[in-house]
Amino acid sequence: MIEIDAVTVSFGGVTALNTLTVQLDAPVVGIIGPNGAGKTTFLNVLSGFVRPNSGRIHAFGRELTGMQPHQRAQWGLRRSFQKEQAVDELTVEDNVRVVLDSLPLSRDVVEDALTGALEFTGISALRRRSVAGLNAFERRMTELARCVAGSPKLILLDEPGAGFSQSEVATLRSVINGIAETIGARTFLIDHDVDLIQATCQRTMVLDFGSLVTYGETASVLADPKVRAVYLGMEET
Amino acid sequence: MMASDPPVVSTPALALWRSRSIGLLLLVAALALLPPLLLASLWLKVLTGVAIYTLTAAAIALLYRRLGLVSLAHVALMGAGGWVGLRLAYGLGTPFEVNMLAGGIAAAGLGMVFAYPALRMRGLYLALVTLMIAGAFAIIVNVLQFPNGGGGWSGFAVKSAGYMPRPAIASNDVGYYAYCVVVTALGMALIHWHEIGKAGRAWALIRRSEAAAMSSGVDVPFYKVWAFALSGFLAGIAGVLLAGNLQMLDARSFPAAESVMIFALTIVGGAWNPVGALIAAALYRLVPALLNDFGVNGDAAYIIFGAALIHALATAPRGIAGQLEDLASRLFGRSNGGNTR
Ligand SMILES: Nc1ncnc2c1ncn2[C@@H]1O[C@H](COP(=O)(O)OP(=O)(O)O)[C@@H](O)[C@H]1O
Ligand SMILES: [Mg+2]
Repeated sequence: MIEIDAVTVSFGGVTALNTLTVQLDAPVVGIIGPNGAGKTTFLNVLSGFVRPNSGRIHAFGRELTGMQPHQRAQWGLRRSFQKEQAVDELTVEDNVRVVLDSLPLSRDVVEDALTGALEFTGISALRRRSVAGLNAFERRMTELARCVAGSPKLILLDEPGAGFSQSEVATLRSVINGIAETIGARTFLIDHDVDLIQATCQRTMVLDFGSLVTYGETASVLADPKVRAVYLGMEET
Repeated sequence: MMASDPPVVSTPALALWRSRSIGLLLLVAALALLPPLLLASLWLKVLTGVAIYTLTAAAIALLYRRLGLVSLAHVALMGAGGWVGLRLAYGLGTPFEVNMLAGGIAAAGLGMVFAYPALRMRGLYLALVTLMIAGAFAIIVNVLQFPNGGGGWSGFAVKSAGYMPRPAIASNDVGYYAYCVVVTALGMALIHWHEIGKAGRAWALIRRSEAAAMSSGVDVPFYKVWAFALSGFLAGIAGVLLAGNLQMLDARSFPAAESVMIFALTIVGGAWNPVGALIAAALYRLVPALLNDFGVNGDAAYIIFGAALIHALATAPRGIAGQLEDLASRLFGRSNGGNTR
């Protein structure tokens, strides 16, 4: 269970998160809302890049609020970025290995974790290839492999499906659906693709102007008139 | 402008490295053994200088290539290492290798001090800070002077004619040249060893984006400080080697401008290839000596270097070594990663 307790973030005059209080308890939680709603800021607060002006975060009983980003990663937090961050000059394998470097693991465990992460994301065949030669989807999967390596506890994905074809999104969907069981981690997923959210997230939260609109079963959230109003309001402008 | 894009070079596979390492050993042996057979002693001293500055250039290239950091203080770091080495040699009479390590460690410590501004600043601002440090060193060492066998804390005496002893196994010019080639090769191997391991991966992520590095568990400040320490260590070692080459050091040969020059030449030579460091050092030591030999003022080299730097920044971000690599791959049809520019 991840508990968000009255988290507020403001950038100058903009309130990106407004006393957000929510307890997220599903294997995969969807985060939706119009552009500028504060979704990425929420992930930034969770991963430690943005210090909230006030509020606290607990995950599985551990207070994360004061921890540095790399300490959170070592604790078991992983994230992908809206703009993918695979490293060209390293091989696929080394892109993943870097996350294992900071963990106190034996050599054998590292090799097993690497193999496991690459198999899980379906890129074992690319293992020794340089990332520079990969296409956008393979790069995204490399980043995803980095997220699932080393027994993480919580994985944050920021619009992983944006810009990919239907068949690629289908692959992504089955990978995300496997995380809870195979990797044993919770996932928070931001995406604009409602089909992807429906197919992967048991529960979904909706943000608008930094405030929580609603949180609940994905199907009922998507059917909620308040949520429709948020998106209709966006379409009008 | 300064920190150009990292060109794409895949981490060498272990097998490639092994087969290459034999070739590299032969190359180092050839570099160490051949020239002494062919050259007069004056030129041998110049070549020894080339070997030493190759290590300095490699240390500068490491920071530039891995973290995109411009250090304009590496000659000052050499001077600091050299000062410590000389002080120990005269003060305690410790063996050359001990002095060399101590000089390296002292310069590594200084490098770590530089790293503090680097944690907050980048690009031009950081470059200016390192330049100021180089300037401060030039002033301090002009007051202190380098130890030359005198008494007291600074070990300097106006009328002393002490000479720094060289390593027991390499006391003549020929032996000392070979010694410097081997130490430089070891220093560059140390860099390579870091780059193919944990540190190299961490640096690659930091270079890609600090956010990506942090969220992958990389302790960004630690690895930045580590890069500075390693780079400073090697510059300090080079400084002690230089003291051994001339068997003394002159405070006047460490102005801040020299640090700028060797940095510029490192870019001209090519920061992405070990050969680039050798080219940089050869330009730095050999060109002025050759010009002098032809009866042209050695300072004319500065004009040539300035033009070469502009050329490198504008058209050849991977330097001369990068161009040679492209040429070789075109001639021999060898495919190498994504080096298409
Ligand atoms: N680093 C920042 N500095 C200033 N404003 C920011 C920063 N990050 C986000 N914002 C602002 O906060 C609001 C929420 O942004 P964001 O979390 O990126 O939205 P979303 O991901 O939902 O599209 C926006 O108005 C955005 O302009
Ligand atoms: Mg966003």
